[in-house]
Amino acid sequence: MTTSAITTDQLTKSYGPKLALDALTLDVPVGEVFGLLGHNGAGKTTAVNVLTTLLEPTRGSAEVAGVSVTGDPRSVRRAIGYLPENVQFYDNLTVMENLRFFAQLSGLRRPDGRIRDVLRILDFEGHDRQRLGTFSKGMRQRVGIAQAILHSPSVLFLDEPTSGLDPEGVRTLRETIVRLNSEFGMTIFMNTHLRSEVTKTCTSIGILKAGRLVHHDTLERALSAFPGEDSLEAIYFQVESEPAS
Amino acid sequence: MNAFMVSARHEMLNARRTRTANLLLVVFIGMVIASSVIGWVTNQTVTSVYQKVVADGLSSAPNPFSGVSPLYYSRNAVIYVLLIGSLMAIVLGVQATLRDRKAATADLVLSRPVGSVARLLGQLAGLGVVLAVVIGVSMSISWVIISIINGAPLGWGDTGRLVAFSALSWILLATFALLGMLTGLRSRQETTALLVPFVIWSVVAFVLPQIGTAARPVSLLNPVPAVNPTGGYFDLVSALTGPLSVTEQFKRASGIILQDSTVTGDATPSVLILLSFLVVMSIVVVSTPRARMRSGLDG
Repeated sequence: MTTSAITTDQLTKSYGPKLALDALTLDVPVGEVFGLLGHNGAGKTTAVNVLTTLLEPTRGSAEVAGVSVTGDPRSVRRAIGYLPENVQFYDNLTVMENLRFFAQLSGLRRPDGRIRDVLRILDFEGHDRQRLGTFSKGMRQRVGIAQAILHSPSVLFLDEPTSGLDPEGVRTLRETIVRLNSEFGMTIFMNTHLRSEVTKTCTSIGILKAGRLVHHDTLERALSAFPGEDSLEAIYFQVESEPAS
Repeated sequence: MNAFMVSARHEMLNARRTRTANLLLVVFIGMVIASSVIGWVTNQTVTSVYQKVVADGLSSAPNPFSGVSPLYYSRNAVIYVLLIGSLMAIVLGVQATLRDRKAATADLVLSRPVGSVARLLGQLAGLGVVLAVVIGVSMSISWVIISIINGAPLGWGDTGRLVAFSALSWILLATFALLGMLTGLRSRQETTALLVPFVIWSVVAFVLPQIGTAARPVSLLNPVPAVNPTGGYFDLVSALTGPLSVTEQFKRASGIILQDSTVTGDATPSVLILLSFLVVMSIVVVSTPRARMRSGLDG
């Protein structure tokens, strides 16, 4: 039985001469909430896109839920849930119609009951017949989480999940992430540039700088190394300021 | 339910909910019905004038409509399929593929266990069903109106011809829907995604036939056959460009199927050319790589 939810070895992605992801080697154990930190353009979204099989790596290898992302991408897609940054849906369709579409694409045969269950888990009951065109960013984000977990994935990828949310939306989403991990056992891989979010939700962190992983540790160890209220902030800026090797 | 079926159903649902597409559908159905109504009004007017003339003893000739095929009344439908139907199919096709790129829902779709071929074929199948329903409704109403004009239900032979014309219309419209899907997948901007297939359509419908049939340009917009050049340069150009004008092939095959007395010959070559375009376009569209399906738009 595999104990790693995500492993990468020298995973590299380049767009022509531009190196977006530089030899990423990573191990995220099952049950972790892993936060990948980095500035805009550090390569966080590229990493998620490769791990979710949306992009093919240029070099290196990666396994998600014990399956190679290049060898058997379809099996990887069955095992994962994905919430992109600024998630969008078909605005002329209702919540139920949107979620039914994604559930059926994931192989669920009669998904309506499961959709209602998931909406209940996310405290979003009563909205299933509404069209998404009128929804706020926070409401869309909850539908986004719903579509990502409908098929009970073992690994959930969240790309900047709190981007553009108001404080109340951020708090709700944070609680949801913690709950999905603790109650449903999902391993969560989260991209963010908000250090405060990582402190409140993650169990381990990685810091990406210009495509390279410059720091990887459990949150507990990282914090104990730099005691103080803004310790993660301190680690982040210290690591960021060091010249890339 | 597999990805193909899910995509097909989703496409049908989206087409039903899209305002522009619905408007075009209504206009198309309305025009095809109008075609039969115009035929009926023409028949009534000419017959009443004829009866008056015969009653006044001014003529002993037979009623000019007495020897006309019942399908004569739907001959204008050929033009409506060419003009409005093609535009409707292009809009539906562009929206089908551009939707995911515009709203960035392609990433959500492609992060599911879905193959790009199954996804695109499913979308095409969904559009195919929508087009079939539109054509079916239009032709059913035409059948009823023609039967009313004739005072009796259309016979099996004529009904079969109307069904064959519907199938031919579907092949043409599906080809244009595929053209729309292709530009929806390939264009960098929404405006070019719509503009390019319209330009291609106008070249195919107006420019290509004009090259070989300049002697009778009225045939471009009316259900009358183009005059074939009898030799020389225009004959050569016509032979080269003729098969490329799918709209001309459609007009020719439709004329033969609907027993238009002005069109003679065998419809098979034209039908085969139309089918070839459909198959080639299908192959081109479904071979679109996943990376292209999820590429965003400029601006």
